[in-house]
Amino acid sequence: MPKLTLFVQTQGESNVVEVAVNENLTESELHKALSGAGITIGPDRFIFIDEAEEHISSEGKRPAEVKQGTRVHVARCRRIKTTVNYLERTIERDFAAGTRVRSVKKWAIKEFELDKKDAAEHVLQLCKSTERPSTDTPLHALVQGSNCVLCFDLVPEIRVEG
Amino acid sequence: MTVIKPPDQLLLERDLAAAEFRCGEMECRWRLISTEWPNVVISVSAAIIPNSPPEYAFRFDCSGYREVAPTAQPWNAETNSALAHKDWPTGKSIVPSVFRPQWKDGRCLYLPCDRMSIQGHDDWRNVHPGRLWDPARGIVCYLEQIHELINSNDYTGVIGA
Repeated sequence: MPKLTLFVQTQGESNVVEVAVNENLTESELHKALSGAGITIGPDRFIFIDEAEEHISSEGKRPAEVKQGTRVHVARCRRIKTTVNYLERTIERDFAAGTRVRSVKKWAIKEFELDKKDAAEHVLQLCKSTERPSTDTPLHALVQGSNCVLCFDLVPEIRVEG
Repeated sequence: MTVIKPPDQLLLERDLAAAEFRCGEMECRWRLISTEWPNVVISVSAAIIPNSPPEYAFRFDCSGYREVAPTAQPWNAETNSALAHKDWPTGKSIVPSVFRPQWKDGRCLYLPCDRMSIQGHDDWRNVHPGRLWDPARGIVCYLEQIHELINSNDYTGVIGA
């Protein structure tokens, strides 16, 4: 049977794990395949396929929407309460755990009504840090501690000079 | 005769086979073109801009990997030679601050994660902490930065377009 390669990121772990699964598998079969690959999936963990809004069910009979190279997230957080600060304004929204930083920035740009030029010159930086995560980073990979919350400042990108 | 590979070469080979690198390949963010130790040529996909290429190749010199940062030079993968300056990517503000053909004769990118460029720029450790070389992440750390730049709204295509 043809196999697909999935890339699994578990919240709290820095490495990515490659897992081969059969094509056309159901949600429950994906659950089993991940467990079979040695990935710990307790009752307090949620599995998201890439940036999907909803996690999959361990009993789900629906087809798992995966293709070659899809990212799968095993997260403790079902939703991540995300705050973005820009100048004197603050916006807030809950995102699914697999949502990438790129999508949060896109939402923030729209909410703050930044034009194209300003959008290009601003990046998301984790609050109280100097960390500017890659736009491909899933939100769960940035959560610290036990709370499912994240805070970003939308700050100007700095030219490399000197 | 058994040839014993040096540790830096073994580490690079391990990282090029690791899930983090392969994930980027499968998402078409970058692709490995060739390896000729200590150099590796990797192409990084760019935003689609009229009259500009869909990807740019870079030759990374990975001597001393991972403890020592690599240095990357825009590369013409077809002729296996340095990319002509007119074919470098450019942009409005941030991208041209990194892709500077005049800097060290175009032999490296003006990035804090680049071995050649960080020399003499100690202030970058404070000004650009997020752009420094991270040995724990390896070559993906450098590739992500290039990919971000040439897929940002700041990128406007090739210099000579």
